[in-house]
Order: sequence, then structure tokens, then C-alpha cells
Amino acid sequence: MGVRRIDWELCDGCEVCVDYCPMDVLRMDRETNKVYIKYLRDCQGCFLCERECPQDAIYCFPVRERRIPLAW
Amino acid sequence: MLQVCKGNVGKSGCSAFAAGFFNVPLPTDDLDAMFKDMVRDGGYLRMQDRVQDHLEQAHLVMKDMMSYGVDFVRKDSGELERVPGWTRDLGLMFNGPNLMEAMRKASLEKGVEQANRVMVTDFLTHGGRVVGAAGFGVMNGEFHIFKAGVTILASGMCRYKSLPPGQRDTTGDGTVAALRAGATVCDTESDFSLNNAFVAHWDIGPGMNMYVGQGGRLLNGLGERFMEKYDPIRKDRAIAGMRCLAMGLEVRQGKGPIYMDLTHLDPEQVGRIKKALPLASLMHQRAGFLVGDRFVKPIEWMITAPHAQVGLAVDRRFQSSLPGLFACGESAAAQAMTKSLGCAATSGVTAGVAAARYAQEAGEPQIDRAQVAEIRERLYQPLQRKDGIEPDQVVLAVQEVVAPYTVLLIRHGERMKKAIAEVEDILKNQAPLLLAYDHHYLRMAIEASSMAKIAELQLKSALFRTESRVALREDYPYTDNVNWLKWINMKQEGEDLKISTEDVPMGRYRFHPERSEHLHPLWQAAENIGAINIEKGAVSWA
Repeated sequence: MGVRRIDWELCDGCEVCVDYCPMDVLRMDRETNKVYIKYLRDCQGCFLCERECPQDAIYCFPVRERRIPLAW
Repeated sequence: MLQVCKGNVGKSGCSAFAAGFFNVPLPTDDLDAMFKDMVRDGGYLRMQDRVQDHLEQAHLVMKDMMSYGVDFVRKDSGELERVPGWTRDLGLMFNGPNLMEAMRKASLEKGVEQANRVMVTDFLTHGGRVVGAAGFGVMNGEFHIFKAGVTILASGMCRYKSLPPGQRDTTGDGTVAALRAGATVCDTESDFSLNNAFVAHWDIGPGMNMYVGQGGRLLNGLGERFMEKYDPIRKDRAIAGMRCLAMGLEVRQGKGPIYMDLTHLDPEQVGRIKKALPLASLMHQRAGFLVGDRFVKPIEWMITAPHAQVGLAVDRRFQSSLPGLFACGESAAAQAMTKSLGCAATSGVTAGVAAARYAQEAGEPQIDRAQVAEIRERLYQPLQRKDGIEPDQVVLAVQEVVAPYTVLLIRHGERMKKAIAEVEDILKNQAPLLLAYDHHYLRMAIEASSMAKIAELQLKSALFRTESRVALREDYPYTDNVNWLKWINMKQEGEDLKISTEDVPMGRYRFHPERSEHLHPLWQAAENIGAINIEKGAVSWA
């Protein structure tokens, strides 16, 4: 749902995206000093992580991967 | 002063993803006409003294916000740019999440502390007074208690993790905590904006206000514009609830699906949308709907699950029924005129001032250690289960009950009774078995449980209101201004949910409807076009 890719070549481990994510989807790997997607199913597709990443390391796409029952 | 947030203050919740439109009346506007519109659009259930307060305070609050660094869009001349949104009112534009980011920074600069990634699950009480809150760290699991002279609930409504991207963290946890502490909730089913609408099959949003304000047109599956049939004056710019009801009526007549057509907007209009909605515009681009400065095809839209504004019953100062607990924004009842950013902002200012006075006059809060121990024991139970039900299952089960538009938008008593039975089953047989693998999942488990409780509140209140007012009932198609100018209050007493009514104090309000029954205008419109008949006091579909 939203966040699709974090480019570890570009990620410098600043954690801005971790700080911003309202749904606590992203976490920091202390060994590599890189951010990874831990709880993909809970991503709400808001694109904030991509927007705020200073390194342009994050790519989001507005696909809905988790079924949400519709009104009709 | 301390702000506690399960996400990050200013970077989560609905306000951070609001649709770039700030509805604020200015003193030069026709405030009297706005007052009448707001009362009428709220089905005459709104607290009219509060509506008046909002209209008088809004421009002052806006100036405060600008002094804090909120950057509303200006014309080249430097003058604030006002644009249409829904209804006839004009609003200010702001650049997406920047509004709340500025407020967050202003808060820190004023010395307010912020406890981020801490989910409040309970209010602490002593002698009937709220004396703080308890919760846990969603990343590290630490247990927190906050002792407070006064507490303001501002955690918003419940959107059932439905379509709107950026709004899936509003799950009604604060309301459920307040209910457990003994607070009264009010009119959980008669929010004037029961639903909103978003792109049907993609995660794209927000933006309704800006799209219709810039000239967006709703089309049915036959390619016809249809809003004029239901709101001849405001058409596509009708209030959200009216627009969603109209969409539902079209679909019920077999004229779905529904599309939003933005293809006729010129580059200047699209430019305004991009400025106010940078994230949604990027989403549209990625999905191929927006190419350069043009929308290239109509986009299928869908109404959301109901917006459950299960707000606390409050007075004009936003004091709840519990001493020491105030509520503002969409945590307060919809009747307190709290929906939309402008209204939420004025409610917050009023609540803040009143709460500060309360704290000055109230004595030192006392913590009940036994209560804290009980909360701590209950809170972590999902982590201690070796087996159980994942939060996703409960979320989906609740969504399947409330999402169909024929449950809480176009209503019938029998359908709602069935939905209530399903929710009661979830609450009785699934929620107690919620399982959490870690502290993130503990948050998700509590959110799922909150959603189920909110659904119960909303459905039972909706069943209780035997008329059509802000929603449509097939079995009660008339608006009943003789018997139903009432608020529905709900309170948890042990296992029982007590429902009572309170007369809207029309005697001291200045704008009254005629005390009569009349066919709801949307049912009347549907009858006029031959979609329904009224037989034996109920709707029969043609």
C-alpha cells in the first residue's frame, strides 16, 4: 500500500521517513544504517515518506494491495 | 503542557492530510447567511451558540495560525487567495501537510512538550474527575501514565481504515477510552458529512473540496451529470453528505458506477489543485490520471465507509460530561460544529482556553494506583496470547459490516439490526481474542477493537433515530421536526449501552425549522424522477 521501494544506495539512514510515517511502517536497521519496510500491510499510502526523504531514496505507488470492502 | 500522539504530532491524523482547503469566514462575508446554511445543513441539530462562536472567531484564529507560520496561498499581489470549495463559501488554500507542520513547530517553540509514538488507551479518573491518561509506546512498548490537571481529547473520529490515504490512523481510540471512563457520546450517526468520496480502486486522496471547487463534475455510469437533480442550487458543490447520498441513490437506481470528471479543467485550475494537493497530485500522476497540466480521463470514485464522528457530548466550552476532560475537533460531537479544519481550529481554541481555566481552579490531581494496575494488566493482554485473531481479521470484519452504502447511508431498520448482530458478534467473539506479535501489532489490535466498538455505537444510534434527516431511512422517509429535534446520547454502564435523547434547545436558538413532518428532500427528488414511491409511509423502489 504505497511505499514500494527504498533505494539503499541513496538511503543515508537519517530516519526522517521513520519519524514521519504515521503508521509506523518503516524501521531502521542499526547494523546497516538503512531504513527498511517492516509493516507493509499497514502502509496507508500517504506518500509522506517519499515527499520528506532528503535523499529521494523512497518510491511510492498508489496501488491498493490490501482489500478494503467498497460501498457497492 | 504536553501533547501525546500515537503517531507524530503534526505529522499524523486527518489534519495532516487535509485537502488543502481551510474554510474560514471573514468579517466582510455574509455571516448571517452562512449561519443559516450551517444550521440547515446540519439538519437543525447543531448547537447554534457554537455556530455563532465559530463564525465570530474563525478569522482571528486564522490570523493566529498565520503568526505561527501557517502559509496560506496568496495571489501575486500578496492578497490571500480565496477559492470555492463545497457549498457557496470561499476558503483559503494551503500546501498540504505544511499546515500541521507549522503548527507542530509553533507548539514546540512555545515550550509545549510532545510525547510521540505513545498511544493513549485509557483515561485516569479519581472521584469522577479525569486526572490524566495512560498508554504505551508503539515502538518500544513502554507503559506511560500522564498525570494532568486537565485533559483535552483531540484524537479525531473513526474512518474505519477506509479509502482515504492518510486517514487510516483515525480509529476512534480516544472516544472508546472516554466511553470506558464514563463519558457520554452524542449523535454518532447524524454527522452532516456521513461519508466522503475518493478514487475507487487506487489509493489517491484527499481532495474533494478542491476538485469540486475548481469545477469537478460527478458523472454516473451513463455519463450523465446528476447532482442537479438532488441539489439544484449547489449541484456538485453540495455538502459532502448530500453528495454521497446522491451518489448512493444513483447507484441504487442501477446508474453506477460514479466518476469524477476533471478533464475539462484548464491549466490554471489544475495548477491550483497541484499547489494545494501536492501529494494527491503526485498520486494522480503515478496512476496516469494526470499528465502534465491536464487530467486525461474521468476517474471512478466511490464513497467511503461512514465517517463515524462518535464525538463526546460537550457544552459550548467543549467541556465533556466528565470533569477534567474536554474534547475538540472531531473528538467532540458533530453538533458542536467541529468538522473541517476551520471548525476544528476554533473548537480547539475555545477548548484550550476553557481547559486552562479549569486547570487553574481544580485541585491537584490524584492517581488511583489500583486503576493504573488494572489498565496495565488489560492493555498488554494481546501480547501475552500464544494464539488468537490477527487485527487484520477484525478490521476486515468491521469494514464488511459498515462499508456497504445500504447500511448507514441509505438505511433500513432490518439491515441495521443485522449489522448490529454482526458487530456484537465481533465484539463478543473476536475482539477478546485479538493477538499482537509485537508492540506495533498491539497498536493495531487496539485500533481494530476500537473500530468494532465505534461501529456498535454508530449503528445503535442510527437505528434509534426513526426518521430521515442527515441520512436516509427507507422505513422512515420523513424528516420529523415534531418529534426528532433531539440529540441521541449514549453512555456505557457495565455491559449495557444506555441510549437517551435530549431536546435540542430550540427555545434559545434563533433559527428554527417549521415544526412539521415532511418527506426528506432527497427522497422527494427521487420520487420526482420516478425512482421511488412512498407506500404506507415507507420507500418502495420503482
